[in-house]
Amino acid sequence: MLWYKAWLDTRWRFLIGLGLLAISAAGIVFAYPRVVALLPLVPASDTGGELGRRIREAALLSREFRGYIWWQWFHQTAPQEWTIASVLLGTGGLVAQGSSGALFTLSMPVSRTRLLAVRAATGLAELFLVALAAVVLLPLLAPAVGERYAFADAIVHGLCMFAAGAVFFNLAFLLSTSFDDGWRPLLITLAAAVVLATCEQVFRGLEPYSVFTVMSGDLYFRTGHLPWLGIAASAGVSAALFSISTVNLARRDF
Amino acid sequence: MAESIVVETVELHKRYGAVDALCGLSLRVPAGSIFGFLGRNGAGKTTTIKILLGMAHPGGGRATVFGLAADDRAASVEIRRRTAFVSDEKDLYDGMTVAEMIRFTAGFFPRWRGDLEQRYLRSFELPPDRKVKALSRGMRTKLALLLSLSRGAELLVLDEPTAGLDPAMTEEVLQALVGHAAREGMTIFFSSHQIAEVEQIADAVAIIDRGRTIVAGALDELREKFRRVQLVFAGDAPEGAFDSPGVARVRRNGRVLTVLATAGAESILDRGRALQAVSMDVVPVTLKEIFLESVAAED
Amino acid sequence: MLLRPNPASGVPIYLQLMEQVKHAIETGALRAGEQLPGIRPLAEELVINANTVAKAYRELEHEGVIELRHGAGAFVSANSRPKKATETLRAGQAVVADAVRKLRDRGVTNEEIRRLFEAELAGVAKTGEPRG
Repeated sequence: MLWYKAWLDTRWRFLIGLGLLAISAAGIVFAYPRVVALLPLVPASDTGGELGRRIREAALLSREFRGYIWWQWFHQTAPQEWTIASVLLGTGGLVAQGSSGALFTLSMPVSRTRLLAVRAATGLAELFLVALAAVVLLPLLAPAVGERYAFADAIVHGLCMFAAGAVFFNLAFLLSTSFDDGWRPLLITLAAAVVLATCEQVFRGLEPYSVFTVMSGDLYFRTGHLPWLGIAASAGVSAALFSISTVNLARRDF
Repeated sequence: MAESIVVETVELHKRYGAVDALCGLSLRVPAGSIFGFLGRNGAGKTTTIKILLGMAHPGGGRATVFGLAADDRAASVEIRRRTAFVSDEKDLYDGMTVAEMIRFTAGFFPRWRGDLEQRYLRSFELPPDRKVKALSRGMRTKLALLLSLSRGAELLVLDEPTAGLDPAMTEEVLQALVGHAAREGMTIFFSSHQIAEVEQIADAVAIIDRGRTIVAGALDELREKFRRVQLVFAGDAPEGAFDSPGVARVRRNGRVLTVLATAGAESILDRGRALQAVSMDVVPVTLKEIFLESVAAED
Repeated sequence: MLLRPNPASGVPIYLQLMEQVKHAIETGALRAGEQLPGIRPLAEELVINANTVAKAYRELEHEGVIELRHGAGAFVSANSRPKKATETLRAGQAVVADAVRKLRDRGVTNEEIRRLFEAELAGVAKTGEPRG
């Protein structure tokens, strides 16, 4: 019944995240015809520097549907929405003020670690489903705009998104064992994400090691190789954050 | 007769930030008793209960339930397997229905008593399909009680069980507790402000104040030991004549001395006679007076 | 039949119960050989601790007022000891009535009378003999 309780607690966030990502994915597919129509209007190699390089890269990639999807969605739009969804699913839990019956739960003959594990597993399962459902829409809806998108690509990208998202999920999860309001874990994790993204922009050398690089499946898109190192590192960080969560909760006085 | 002790704390300490919630609290709850835990707000009742159930960690001292250490994680799970707890907020899962709460709780206790569940569902008149958030406070208390009484626990811990309940519902709750304790032989440990209800159903009590136990013992013994003696003297009442163990309080008012004795009135009467008191009256003391005097003495 | 004891009276509940049972026997509400309510049902009905009821019954058995038959319950004693107790009490009642009347004649109030008796009993409890 712990699983049912965890589901009840996260149900709405799951559905909202699902809706958000699904609409986003569908939206990007259906926007393609319009982008194709606009492409010829992009001035050729006029603007210099970083901005010019980006515009040229976008235009180049967008000639092809696969490239368009990667650049526009996996690289640009999805990371923001996905990070928010991951954080959303990671907050809440026993310590949160709004959570009813905290003392009741704690009076049950279960260890706090088990409570956390069930909650984390449920949240991660939901996270995985949201990723999967969203990316699967791409190959399913592509024919509607006269294009094709490989299921294999979708699944791999989904996996990368999930692995990277799990990091933010677990960070929010950890912070939720420290703060009893729902806001601070959310804001702090999002702030951390923003800081990470900014560092990635400013210090270009860090880009290959960034979690956002894993999230967008950059390596896979460019080379066809799965970013095993990135996924493993993300998994490692997630596991570490979860361990700290269990220690944190075990120490807490209610 | 060696009584087995179900709950024991020895010099329990707990500090929250700058506040000392518990300053060496010791108590012993005998098996099969109904034990009342009395104290003012902030005296440390809820903190003690939380430590016993593994919800908070002691700062010092020892707490054991069923002989198991309350601050050992594995032991605490075992304690909770055999204990039922009703918090003062009667906090349950707002989003679940009554039936779902029962199923949820029953899942954790292999010794769940379906017969008791049915009995209390009927006698408490709880609607199975209503959500917890739609229940009145009295109904929530009854549901919380049903969930604790049906799980086959050996110990029931209640934090202010009748707080906020009207007299009729209070009586229903007390009746359920008394009946259940008699039938199942379980130990009941409950904290309360309501002295009347403690006096009605408890075998033994502990009065605590400022994180320490002031008075503890079997209720009947306490009732026999506490006496108020009023002595009238011909001249001004003597000062300091009754400063001795066995005296909780002495009040002088001109020629009248009022002594609260905690170990019977005899020695007070002897002293009174020796001091040539003109008249001496002995009156029994209620639990309420014992409580008020004990915590006032600490101020 | 048995009334709710008053927890706040200062008199232990089990003593109140014992008094009530004895009174019930005196007045004929309970006759020799009749069964008393079971400990648990009585505790539940009066909303008091079952241990308290058990203690009252034990003391009553000790005084010979009732008999506890294992597995069957509590029964009013068939022998005459309770009757003797009743007679002694009746005589005692007369003594008390006389003393109270005399004290009232002197202008002593009810509260004062009650306190005098308490003090006397406390003194008796210590020495086993009446004072002065």
